[in-house]
Order: sequence, then C-alpha cells, then structure tokens
Amino acid sequence: MKTIFDKKYINPVGKSVPKIDGKGIVTGQQKYVFDVSFPNMLVAKMIRSPHPHARIISIDTSKAEKLPGVKAIVTAIDTHNIKFGSNEYFFPHTVDQQALEADKVRYIGDEIGAVAAVDEETVDEALKLIDVQYEILPAVFDMEEAIKPGAPQIHEAMNNIAVILPVNFGNPERIMKEADYVREDVFYTQAAAHCSMEPHVCVGQFETFSNKVTLWSSSQAPFKCREALAKCLKMDLNDVRVIKLAVGGGFGSKLEMHPMDFAAVVLSKKCGGLPVKICYTREEEFAFSRRKHAMKYKVKTGIKKDGTILAMTGEVLADGGAYCSYGPTVIAAAIMRIFMVYKLQHFRISGYRIYTNTPISGAIRGFGGVQSGFAIESHIDLLARGIGMDPVEFRLKNITRPNMVTVNKMLLTSNGLRDCIEKAAAAADWKNKYNKQKHLCRGMGIGIAADVMGSKMYKSHESAGSIVKVEEDGSVYLFTGAADTGQGSNTALSQIAAQELGVSYSRIRCKSGDTEITPFDTGSFASRVTFISGNATKRAANDAKKQILTIVAQELKFNIDDLDIAAEEVINTKDKSVLMNFDKALELCYSFNYGRQIIGRGSYNPKTTPVDFRTGEGNISGSYGFEAQIAEVEVNKETGEVKILKVWDAHDIGKAINPQQVEGQIEGSIAMGIGYSLYEDLKFKNGRVANANFANYRLPKSLGTPAIETILIETDEKEGPFGAKGMGEASLLPTSAAIANAIEDAVGVRIKELPITPDKILKALKEKEQAKTN
Amino acid sequence: MLLNPLTYHSPKTALEAAQLYSNLPEARILAGGTFLLNNLKQLKKKGLKTPRNIISLKHIEELKGIVANKEKLIIKSMTVINDVFNSPHLTDNFSVLRTVCRNISTNPIRNMATVGGNLTSRYTWTELGAVLIALEADMHFTGPDGKEEIISVEDFLKNNARSSTIFTHVSIKKNKEHSFAYQRIRKLSYIDVPMLAVCVRTTFKGDRFTDTHAVMNNCVNFAQRDLVLEEFLNKSSRRNGVAEEALNHLDTKIYDIRGDDYKKAVFRVSIKNAIKDLINQKEKNDHPDH
Amino acid sequence: MTTLIINKKEYEVNLLGHETLLEVLRDKLSLTGTKTSCQESECGACTVNIDKKAILSCITLAVDVVGKEITTIEGLADGENLHPVQQAFLDHGSAQCGFCIPGMIMSCKALLDNNQKPNQEEMEYALDGNICRCTGYLKIFNAIRAAGTQMKAHV
Repeated sequence: MKTIFDKKYINPVGKSVPKIDGKGIVTGQQKYVFDVSFPNMLVAKMIRSPHPHARIISIDTSKAEKLPGVKAIVTAIDTHNIKFGSNEYFFPHTVDQQALEADKVRYIGDEIGAVAAVDEETVDEALKLIDVQYEILPAVFDMEEAIKPGAPQIHEAMNNIAVILPVNFGNPERIMKEADYVREDVFYTQAAAHCSMEPHVCVGQFETFSNKVTLWSSSQAPFKCREALAKCLKMDLNDVRVIKLAVGGGFGSKLEMHPMDFAAVVLSKKCGGLPVKICYTREEEFAFSRRKHAMKYKVKTGIKKDGTILAMTGEVLADGGAYCSYGPTVIAAAIMRIFMVYKLQHFRISGYRIYTNTPISGAIRGFGGVQSGFAIESHIDLLARGIGMDPVEFRLKNITRPNMVTVNKMLLTSNGLRDCIEKAAAAADWKNKYNKQKHLCRGMGIGIAADVMGSKMYKSHESAGSIVKVEEDGSVYLFTGAADTGQGSNTALSQIAAQELGVSYSRIRCKSGDTEITPFDTGSFASRVTFISGNATKRAANDAKKQILTIVAQELKFNIDDLDIAAEEVINTKDKSVLMNFDKALELCYSFNYGRQIIGRGSYNPKTTPVDFRTGEGNISGSYGFEAQIAEVEVNKETGEVKILKVWDAHDIGKAINPQQVEGQIEGSIAMGIGYSLYEDLKFKNGRVANANFANYRLPKSLGTPAIETILIETDEKEGPFGAKGMGEASLLPTSAAIANAIEDAVGVRIKELPITPDKILKALKEKEQAKTN
Repeated sequence: MLLNPLTYHSPKTALEAAQLYSNLPEARILAGGTFLLNNLKQLKKKGLKTPRNIISLKHIEELKGIVANKEKLIIKSMTVINDVFNSPHLTDNFSVLRTVCRNISTNPIRNMATVGGNLTSRYTWTELGAVLIALEADMHFTGPDGKEEIISVEDFLKNNARSSTIFTHVSIKKNKEHSFAYQRIRKLSYIDVPMLAVCVRTTFKGDRFTDTHAVMNNCVNFAQRDLVLEEFLNKSSRRNGVAEEALNHLDTKIYDIRGDDYKKAVFRVSIKNAIKDLINQKEKNDHPDH
Repeated sequence: MTTLIINKKEYEVNLLGHETLLEVLRDKLSLTGTKTSCQESECGACTVNIDKKAILSCITLAVDVVGKEITTIEGLADGENLHPVQQAFLDHGSAQCGFCIPGMIMSCKALLDNNQKPNQEEMEYALDGNICRCTGYLKIFNAIRAAGTQMKAHV
C-alpha cells in the first residue's frame, strides 16, 4: 500500500494549501471546454435577429442546406416550442423565453436557429444564405419609456413590467413624519458586462442509439442547465448529462441554460449524432450573452437627530432587457440586502423589472447588491453628513446585531458587522484621515455590505450532496456537484473532506460538476458553495470515517464512540493514544474478513424558511456574511481622474478554510468593483451594444492596482463547516459607494451615477464653483 | 481561420522590399503586425476584399536598430517601441522619446509594434508623430530604383502616404539646448489609446521662450503644430501666469474639433501643465541644488 | 513543410501562409495551453515568448517566425519540475479560474528573464497587456517577486 501523503497538508482547514488543480493551470494542461475537440466534430453558430423587435414571418434555410459542408440547420420547427425561464419556480409567469424563438424576436441578437458545418468558413457562408422574413415592430430601448402607456409591448406583461416586488413593512409614511431630518436621493447605475476570460462555449452530442444527450458546457450550474435542457427536449433528467470541465470564469453569466446549449444538442441530433461545438466570439459575449441590470434607485429616509434611522421608502426600476433570466431575484436581492445590514422596522421599497428591446439582463456577481450597495451606502453617507455625524458612527448606530431576526424574518446568527467596521476604520486610521486630507485632494469613504449563502432561486430546497469514496490504496475521491469556476471550491471542499476524514489534503482528488456522476448541487452562485456544499462534504467525509471506524471498532473490540481519525491516525479519544495509522485501518476495511467499500454520503439543506419573493419575507439563507470596506482616493481636480490609493476590507467569513483563496476572492472582487465604479460601461445605440470589445470596454488592468489590506474576521458560524460561511460577492457590493463617499470627502462633490468618470467629476466641480460665485 | 489566404514575401533588403512593393498587385507591408493583422481579420469578418500579397519586413536586418553619432540619432523603421524605450542613446533632446514610448499601447504590443508602423499607419491617434515633429525629425525612404527620399515628419503627416517606397529610418539632430514637455490623457482611465497628447519644445534664451514647437495630437487629425501658441510663447518669458495666459492664445480649431467639453477642458489643462513643466525644468537647470 | 522551433523542439508543419501562430499552436499542433479571449490583441491570453520577449500570437503570422525561438507555456516545466514562475504562482494563490494564466506566466517569465528584481512600476507595465478578471493582480505581483528571488539565487 502506497503512503502518498505530504505531512505539511495535515489538518488543512485554515491553511493556505495550494489549489488542488493548480498544477494543471500553471502548466497549461488544464482543459476547458474551450479546448475540447472531438473527431468529426462540427462547428456551429447561432442564427440571430438583426432587429430589436420583430415578428418572424418565415425562415428559408433551403439554400444554406445545399451548401457543401453544411451538416444540419435547426430552427424552432425542430423543437417542441417549450418555454423556459431561470426563475420559473418562484415566478412562473417569467417563463418567457424559447431557446429558439418561433414567433417574435425581442432584441438584436435574439436566437432563432443554428447552423452546423465542417468548419467556421462554411458556417459563415451558410448564415449569409439563410433568408428570414421579418415584420419589423416598433421597439423601445429606455426603461422609463417602456412602462408608459402606448409603448410597444414586448411580452404579455402589462406595461412591459415583468415583475413587481412590493416590499412593505410597518408604516413608513406615518413614522417618517416623526423624523428630524429627511432626504431623498436618486442614483443611476449602468449596464455592465461579466467579461469572463473564457467565453460561453459548449459541445453537444446526441447519442442516437440510446437517445441520450451529453453536453459539455462552460457552466456554473450544470444541474440547472440539465433541468432546463431536459424540459425543452422533453427528456428524462437521467438521459441528459451535463459536464463542466475547468471553467474560465462565470460571474453569473453561466448560471443557466443558454440557447446555444440547446442548439448544440438539437443540431447533433439532426445530423445523426456528430458532436457540435459552439463558441462565442468576444463580440457575442458582450452583445448577446448576459449583462448587468441598469437601475434607477430612488430612496428616501427619515432619521432622528441622534442618527437613528426611522423609516425608509423608495422605488427601484431595473432595465431587464428582452427576457427575464434571473431578473426577479436580482431585484429582490437589490432590496432585501438592506435588511441584513441596517435595523429597519418601517420600510416600503417597490422594485420593478422592466422589459426593453435590449440584450438580456441576468445574474451578475452581487445580484443587485452592487446597484443597491451604491445607492444605499451613498445615501447613508449623505444622511450622516446631513446631520453632521461621522459616517462610521452613523453606521454603527444602525447596524444589525448577531442573533437577531430582521423585520422580514431573516435570522442573522453570527454577525461580525460591528467588528468589521471598527477594524476597518482602525486599520485605515479613519479618525485621523476622514475629513482631514482635503488640502491634498484626498478622501476616505466607507461602505458596508452583507452576503447570503444561497438564495433559493432555483427550487424550494437548496440542498447539496457529496460523496467521499476512499479507495484501497488510500486515495480519496470527493464527488461534488459544486461548480468550481476558479474561485477554488474544489480546493476548499477537498480541505473540508480531508479535515473531517482526518487525513492529509494531498490524498484528496476532486471530481465536480458532472450531472451523471456527482450528486446534485445547485451551482456556484449566491456565495453558497463553502457553506452549503461544504456542509454536505463534511457530512460525507464523516460518514466515510464512521464506516472505517465501525470496522476498526469491531476488530479491536472498541466502542466506536471512543475512536476518531485525526492527523492520519486512528486514535483512542479517551487517552489520545494511537491505535493504528490510516493506511492500516484501510487495509483492514478491504481485507478478507471485512471487504467493505468505504463510500461516505452527505446531504445538506440549509435551515431556512419559505421565502415570499413578492413581499421579501422569509429567512433566505442559513447564515449571512458581512463586511466593511474603506477606500482612500486622490482626485485630480484638473482632469477629474480618480486614483485609488488603498482599500481596506474587513470581512466576516466565519472561518477561512483557505485564507489565501479568501484574500484572492476579496482582491478580485474589489478590482471588479473599481471597474464598475470608475470606467466599465456597456453602451447601447438603438438597442445594439456599441462597445462590444476590450478596446472600448475597458477592464481593470495591472496599471494602477491599489494596495488592498484584507482583515479576516472569524465569527465561527456554528452552522457552517468548521465555522465557515461562504463568500465571493460581498467585497464587490460597497466599493462604488466607498469610492463615491471618498470622492466627496476629497473634493466635495457627490456623483450619483455610475461609472464615475473624470468628465462627471469635472462637471460637478465646475457646478460647485459656479454655485459658490452665485 | 482568422485570415484569408495570402501570398507571403520575405525580402532580405530594403531595396528588394521596395521593388516587391511597387511590382506586386494588392500588396501590403507587414511591419510589426499590430495594426495589419487585426485589420485583415476585420476585413475578412466583414466579407471585404483582402490584400493578396503581404511583404514582411521582419527579416531585413538593415532596417533594425538605433545608431547615434555626435550629430544625429538614427532610429531604423523596424525598431520596436520597447527597444526605443530601452535604448541607451536617448540622451539630451532625445530623452523625451522614452517618456512617449512608455505609455504606447501594452507591453507585448510594444515588443512588436515598430516605429515605422506607428508613423506610416493612417491612424490619427498614434503617438510618435507629435514628438518627432517637435524633434524636427526627418523620414528617409528607399524607392524601387534605390534612390533615397527625405521628408520631414511634419510634412509627411500633412500629406498622403507614399506608395512603392519603403520607409527606412528617422534621423534627428542632436540638440542640447532644447527642453521638452509631454502630456497625454488616456481616452478613458486605463485605456492605452490616447485621447490627446501635447508635446512642447522650446529653447530658453535667458528667460525667454524661443524656437518653440507646440505639437498637438487631438487624435482626430494627424499631429500638427499650434502656430498661434508658438507665436505667443516666442514673445513671452517664463513669468508667473504665462502658462495660464497661453490658453488665450490657441488655434482653437485644433482643440474644438469633435471634442466634448471634457476633452476641451483637459486639452487646456495639458497645455498649461506642459508649459509649467518646461519652466520647472529651466528652474532646476539654473539651480540644481534646490 | 516548414520547421517551427517551439519549446526547443522542431515541429514540421504544413503552413499555408495565412495562419496566425495562435492557430498553428492550438489547432495544428494541439498545444492548447495558449488561449485566446478576444482574438484581437487586447486580452493577452495568447502571449508566448519569441526570442525571450512577450509576443501576442494572435497577431503573429506563423510563417513570419520560422527560425525564431518560440516558447509556450508547455515549454516551461522540466518534466515534474516546475519553472520558478509556475511554482511561485502555485505558492502565492495567483491563479483562480486560470484562463489568463498561461499568457500571464509567459509575460512574467519574459520580464524575469531580463530583470529578476523588477519594482512595482516595472511589474505593472510588463503585465499591462494581460487581462485578469479574477485576481485583481496583487497575488501575481507577489509571485513575480518570489520567482525573481528564486531565479536570482540560481544564476
């Protein structure tokens, strides 16, 4: 029996062990679906509408079909015309999209078919030969225009409002009258793009002799994809297999079935089972995949002169684009997050998700929390300034506490928000720098946020399963449905498995995200994986451990309750003596007398309550994460350019399973947050994306990377695996507001529209000068 | 495939390249490839005609390198931007080239893009034009008959591109008297393409600005001199407030063309800061201990 | 047939003339370590080293680099032994989704082959052509510093 463990990786939880798939990454050997190639594989592209709004009169593919090299063309007539929607469980009326549209197209790029051929040149030729007759309809691109009576109706929804979420508690109008200070602000946030480095890509194969489907997809949620695919194909779940390989980033854009996934499979079926690959170009990524909801966020709050928040009202309008995708839960999250951070009893904010004839707005890291983070945290700062109170003190006065139930029935168990704020402020030397660096055009700003661990937007349950299989030779296989898209879930879950089983991390191999082999898991979103999939993994490892100890107990005639495995050894818990090492125990299990396969199973469903998304009531998550972020900026008053000097992020993560990975997620989130705050902006012209390339949609690059100090606060969440909660989104939420608040501190102007570009700052400075002279 | 089929030619001398260029139909010159390759991809994507013949200058050794003697600096046309940046010959008036090369595009592109490509591309936002006008550089071309033609960078950018001649090198006269200031504003924060660039050169005779070249790149037209500003500066001394006053003596059509309020504002800020930079340099030279 | 020298090996390729180096590497030679995210010289995922410089393979004609020393990500490790840059990326958590990493590592290697002690500004400028959406770059800078120290010690 080989002893293959590395001593330094014993007790791995809490240690920054190297990524389990790291070697493959740094040698370029790790395979993404982008790299996949099969013999006789065909290449395919989607047939897209050039019009933002039109009725499909006819589609003539006959000329294209005759082109040599074209193997299959599909349109809606090759499908069952079934509609799907990513939020269908909670908002059944938002099932509004067909994979290949049959009657109407609703945005430039809307998919009505697909062509597969032997190479890309032939596909491009074929696309030119396809003749589609459209009846062009009037289109509407602006969300405030779309809700006016008389606007073109995009779906059956009245006034193009897909979803209204009226979140109401207490009696805010009455209580507002008791306030000493009231203010109302309106904020605008922009549409933005995910920009995962690996584009959307899939390979579909239909096995004709068995009527089974396999889809390799760069996906964050293989099981969600499988469910939608099976529904649209009218097939059983067990006959549809979705496999994710390494995924080059998702950030929310790869959380659902896309028409390309469906098309690849149907094309494969039509041409007798050849594998069909569809890969988006960068232009398609920008223009036709998913984008962030642009929002208009109006909020009005009344406070007492001692800073206590009394009541809050408002309205959120979100530009949803042509179909619903995850829109409804994005709006819900954009409102409900406020209850996680501030104590509120009297509240009325209504959220409206509006259809427009533009590309689809969907899930993107932060899920509405980036938009609401900008609006609320800017607004809170303005409230504090309004009564001359320090923004840090104002927040401390109003934040939620540990072990409290919010007005909308969220159960906040561990809550390190106070600690986060105080530690961030101390690290940033807030007292000596806030409002004290104006002569240098420098300023400090703070923003706070909370994160859920899971969000039940898929089904009523959120359970995840794991299997831990211990092989004869001592290697351990972890099977998890969780989808590692780079954030390191394979690594963290492997650490949890190793810790619980009592062995070195180097024994673990992790297989994730294959719907035929790995247990169910809803996927990588809502920062849920460490908490939910982690608990399932811990249970599975515990189960495997118990199976081994049962045999050891039998052999040594011990009571199983007096046995444990730790640091690669079976020990007597009473006197801590070592009874045998792990490999010996395994040898026993697999020996003639016992011959027992060690296969541990675990399932975990977080303790939540049913959530009514319409009213916002319900405990949506099994635990909540918190953080506070402070930004220090320097503003060039002549050019309006903003330099981020440093960002401090204090984060309550329960317990850091892998501190280096946690830091990496925080640093990456902040970089993304800075991008959204200062320069990322998806621009449209008559419904078409005008800057669909990296030259004109600029991402944060290495130049000017600010220093980031992360402070990890471990509140030891009892419900989490080894005290851990999830994370991955929270650090993105308050960044825009922290920067906007810091800009006001530095040069005295308030920008309420993202992105905060230099021209907006110059304009505001000019207006301030003019106001002074008037 | 990203590109359409083409015939590749790899001449070994500039003369051979010039002859190929004048004889082959539908030929394009391949220097660094940072403009041409993307251009060819775009043409194919749009279904437009692409050039049949590509003449690569990559293997012509006589077109690479930087040579300095007592009077001149010679930068050969196939020298890449990073090699200009790292050159030990960028002393005296040539040192401004280092400032300019630093921020051109991104690092791998600076390893591939050539001085020749930067100057002879028809993009108005390329950056070597302005600084080379300020340096009063000359461009040297070789024709298919072996004859050399010389034209100043300033005249070259005013007129159309030459055909059937190969750009071989720039030559710049050494001048210890000249001071340079260079300001540039990125199109958007962290975008490498400039929105504007300002290069001002002067010789201080006592306190007075003389022999001033104020070269502006508004990225809409090719780099050009602001003669109104030059005239004002050449009549001025480096007194307090001269930088601010200079903003009232501009050839405004350079700055207002296709410019929004922001661009116009930061153009003026850049000019003011360039003039102030020159004055500060003079201060430092006069009082090196302070 | 033309010979391309890649990772110190000779590859015989039937070049038509209009292939980019990126296409030859990935599609003709199955060296899929080098990626692309944009195909128009903006993302840096296609970065390789040619004669020890960081070069974008998506705007390089393969036929133009015959006879040059081409290094891709596949050429860094020596069997089981990782190159110091690769090891440093592992040690410092500098990779997340990994898609930008081959190109990023090639840019880092080109920097360190020339200068084992780059300062912050030099690092930022060397990597300004490689987009990473996941990491925010800080841990990549840490890896460069560590790898530089390691490489200097073994010179």
